Amino acid sequence: MDRCFLELQVDGEEAYQTFSRVIENANVIMATYEDPLLGDVMVYPEKGTVAFSAGLHGWAFTLTNFAKMYASKFGVDESKMMERLWGENFFDPATRKWTSKNTGTATCKRGFVQFCYEPIKQIINICMNDQKDKLWPMLQKLNVTMKSDEKDLMGKPLMKRVMQTWLPASSALLEMMIFHLPSPSTAQRYRVENLYEGPLDDQYANAIRNCDPDGPLMLYVSKMIPASDKGRFFAFGRVFAGKVSTGLKVRIMGPNYVPGEKKDLYTKSVQRTVIWMGKKQETVEDVPCGNTVALVGLDQYITKNATLTNEKEVDAHPIRAMKFSVSPVVRVAVQCKVASDLPKLVEGLKRLAKSDPMVVCTMEESGEHIVAGAGELHLEICLKDLQDDFMGGAEIIKSDPVVSFRETVIEKSSRTVMSKSPNKHNRLYMEARPLEDGLAEAIDDGRIGPRDDPKIRSKILAEEFGWDKDLAKKIWCFGPETTGPNMVVDMCKGVQYLNEIKDSVVAGFQWASKEGALAEENMRGICFEVCDVVLHADAIHRGGGQVIPTARRVIYASQLTAKPRLLEPVYLVEIQAPEQALGGIYSVLNQKRGHVFEEMQRQGTPLYNIKAYLPVVESFGFSSTLRAATSGQAFPQCVFDHWDTMSSDPLESGSQAATLVADIRKRKGLKEQMTPLSDFEDKL
Amino acid sequence: MELETNYEIASTADFIHTRNFTRVALQFPDNLLKDSVRIVRALSAKLRSLRDSDGDNKDVGLFVMADTTYGSCCVDEVGASHIDADCVIHYGHTCLSPTTKLPAFFVFGKASISKSKCVENVSKHALTNDKPVLVLYGLEYAYAISHIRVALTEASTSCVSGSKLDINFASVICSVIDPAEDHKSIHGSAGDSTTNGSFGKEAGTRYAIGGLNWNIPEGHKMEDCLLFWIGSDNSAFANVVLTFNGCEIVRYDATEDYLVTDVSQQLRILKRRYYLVEKAKDANIIGILVGTLGVAGYLDMIHQMRELITRAGKKAYTLVMGRPNPAKLANFPECDVFITVSCAQTALLDSKEFFSPVITPFEAMLAFNRGSQWTGAYVMEFRDLMSSLPVEVRNQSEARFSLIKGGYIEDFDQQDTVIGKENKEGALALANATEKALKLNDGNLNSIIKGTAKSGAEFFLSRSYHGLEINGDSSPEPYVIGRSGKASGYEDEKIKQER
Repeated sequence: MDRCFLELQVDGEEAYQTFSRVIENANVIMATYEDPLLGDVMVYPEKGTVAFSAGLHGWAFTLTNFAKMYASKFGVDESKMMERLWGENFFDPATRKWTSKNTGTATCKRGFVQFCYEPIKQIINICMNDQKDKLWPMLQKLNVTMKSDEKDLMGKPLMKRVMQTWLPASSALLEMMIFHLPSPSTAQRYRVENLYEGPLDDQYANAIRNCDPDGPLMLYVSKMIPASDKGRFFAFGRVFAGKVSTGLKVRIMGPNYVPGEKKDLYTKSVQRTVIWMGKKQETVEDVPCGNTVALVGLDQYITKNATLTNEKEVDAHPIRAMKFSVSPVVRVAVQCKVASDLPKLVEGLKRLAKSDPMVVCTMEESGEHIVAGAGELHLEICLKDLQDDFMGGAEIIKSDPVVSFRETVIEKSSRTVMSKSPNKHNRLYMEARPLEDGLAEAIDDGRIGPRDDPKIRSKILAEEFGWDKDLAKKIWCFGPETTGPNMVVDMCKGVQYLNEIKDSVVAGFQWASKEGALAEENMRGICFEVCDVVLHADAIHRGGGQVIPTARRVIYASQLTAKPRLLEPVYLVEIQAPEQALGGIYSVLNQKRGHVFEEMQRQGTPLYNIKAYLPVVESFGFSSTLRAATSGQAFPQCVFDHWDTMSSDPLESGSQAATLVADIRKRKGLKEQMTPLSDFEDKL
Repeated sequence: MELETNYEIASTADFIHTRNFTRVALQFPDNLLKDSVRIVRALSAKLRSLRDSDGDNKDVGLFVMADTTYGSCCVDEVGASHIDADCVIHYGHTCLSPTTKLPAFFVFGKASISKSKCVENVSKHALTNDKPVLVLYGLEYAYAISHIRVALTEASTSCVSGSKLDINFASVICSVIDPAEDHKSIHGSAGDSTTNGSFGKEAGTRYAIGGLNWNIPEGHKMEDCLLFWIGSDNSAFANVVLTFNGCEIVRYDATEDYLVTDVSQQLRILKRRYYLVEKAKDANIIGILVGTLGVAGYLDMIHQMRELITRAGKKAYTLVMGRPNPAKLANFPECDVFITVSCAQTALLDSKEFFSPVITPFEAMLAFNRGSQWTGAYVMEFRDLMSSLPVEVRNQSEARFSLIKGGYIEDFDQQDTVIGKENKEGALALANATEKALKLNDGNLNSIIKGTAKSGAEFFLSRSYHGLEINGDSSPEPYVIGRSGKASGYEDEKIKQER
């Protein structure tokens, strides 16, 4: 809202159109999550289920605020007033009449504009222009009293203060919660099906369903909140049934708990139960069901989320864990400025990972710490938290965002390559070829995988990807991590002892497909065909020690002879903007190597919906560039979409891909020169 | 004669003669083997003349040993005991690790060095730097250090600016090692050099690495010093860089005559080692490689490692395989990580070729002691480690954060030990273990995922090939004619190629 008034200066009608579109969009998204149990999930301003807010300035209102005010003034019913403040209702102050169409006279305006938007605009303008003589009488009319020291404020701070006093965000939000969110006792009646993992007729399900304070304790911890004392966390969650009290011994079922087993299961005492209220917290004796609670003393046993129950309730099942549909794609390497701060950094990363379920902290082969977040902004916030809250202000250095690539091939190997084992007594012959279009994605989606029934698998492969039926049965494995989008297929005929070395070849393949020959990035979409093997007759001379390193070498050799390429990740960007911003969008996209593949005008609006592909590498700083180029009229949303083959040849020195490979290798602390093919391939 | 001075024939003969050794093993690294015959000849001539002058007629047997099983920097005591030797003369580069049974005499050899250029480089660098300089060097330059020091003091006194150079020299511990004495006591023999006047008088902290030792006066820290290394970029230097990673280090290459001030590549190694520690934390099966049979205390270290690993709830296997290489280690694909117990200078094995990482005992302690943290300090010699141990394993059940997997993970084995304690009866525990092994097996048939199995047997079960099928078709196969010829190309293949 604040941008409407301060930056964009849009007039009432235009603002109304924007708002109603936003609401419509939100409703469309929400409709996809519709659940008969939940009932109507749409939001309607006229029902008070939409709040208009300026989060930055801390004020917000629902139509109820205004309806109340005018209802008493005009002497109409409050609910009737609500309806008139939204939708096709127009008011002409000259005739003092409501119409359902714009009559066309200059004074006739939409209800929302006339009674909500314009007054706010007026107040804000007065504040910004410091016309205090006009301001005070108006505020008095609105029943807003300012403190004396606040009256001395000027410009923006004054406006902020006035708006916060007049339309505090907290009360708008609280009002919505009170009037529109179902109470726990109502909600849990239908939520239990989605909440509880166990049978829906056991005593725990019933206790949740009835929100029974005398039933067994069922508590779901959803977040770990860092406490003020170093290294400790509050376990924050909701009590669904029973009561949790200070000193109570609870059974903690972690995310990996399987009923009946002892894995990820602890029994510990709650040291304190705390009610969390904004910044404040209050220790209480106990908290009954229907409330949220923060628990002290369990942080060592809960990693991200957990279900808590009474010590005795050994047959309770856990409550279903929350899922997040966003994946961490933006990664930076962090290191501490002072080397001796390393333990602090590690501790900080641990705590960061605990406090935010979306962030992933890992480590590269080179020993760099990597923090991965959902987006640029998310990552920025995480790093700030890391430095200020979790590391006590110890300085950290962050690298530029790191993007991971994949390695693939675009043709069949130019020849069958051969590698010899260290003792020269065993030889593996292999070829690489790209997987059929769509096959890698099918493996990603889990339609084809190592656990499939071989018959079904070969049917899919034969029908959709044109594989030979017999060949489909000869898939040895997938990789990396046994499920990845690469595979080894046995093409040998009548080779002795082949089954003996299969495990070793698979192990070598898992290793090699995780670290490709180009830049040690994961491989993707490569099929390795074992063409022939020559093995020593004596079992000890064809053991893992001989075959695993050889399998790795021959895989690299076949990758390098099959026109290797890099794959880069690509975002799908959706941008909404008015027509005049299109030029700016196109130029920014061009400059960032993106390309538009769909442009659609939204019916009945001047807005355009643009869909484009944008390489992730180029996406850093994209939003801000775009905002600058379109004076803030375009809003991009990025989602990871697919891997795109980079056309330049990484083996050709000086090419774009070759520089990229050199950069990655440098970052990983490898030799900048790629290992040549001759090191992997042997001659007879 | 150059050979005589280079290989210290006189002092060697003196050592053998005065101590009355009769069977002497001469241990050569591969690169010095070519000189061995001439050395033996010179040495026996010298010994004979000494004997004649003494009127003694005992015969001394000299034996040449080569191709050691482990690193050639350590004294090969096992090899020496094969010929029943009563002392070892070690030639060439050495780590000066103490021996268990036999006395040893070390001949470092003498590499050529231009003293004037070296002095020039040291003083130039010391002048531009206000930190105190500590000079360390490869043992092959030990003979020249006293001259360099004298030259340096001259240079600094003649210096017009009059600014006093604060240069310290490390000294060589000794060139004789006696197993009978306590490892820690050091007897300054051979007197190649002594530290800069302050030796033995001022109390201070004493440091020793790779056969060098020096004192830092009280109130000073190692971090304040500038280390000046004379010598090549070998494992001894890598050790110094890793151990004193907080110091500024400059290397002077005497053969090529240039200064290397950028040692960031070495510091990269430190980060890489740190990654390996994190990786080791996720390991379930650990192989302990016996990398030495000579260095004093190696058995204690192996026992200690085994204990450490069992306490961490992991499985350990001890492997003796001589010098490790990728092919040998890959014969044990079930091991997630290897610990090599060896002398400090052969311990650092890091190559992308290894199927599983190889770490040092120090790193293993970091990894398997829950709650111990990497502070940046680094200990190479396991003798220094044994004194620092044991840190009690904090028995906390907090889930462990794995930086490799990027999340909290549970150490299943810790849970297992809890179960094990509860089911005191062995039979039940055994039944549980079997049940677990079977469960895991039908979960992932025919796939090797590293780090899922918890013991060698379990790993074997998860393999697709279990050896010969006993219950298979028992009718005999018709015999097939095998291949003939050489492995580089069997005869049938040759024919194929010719076509």
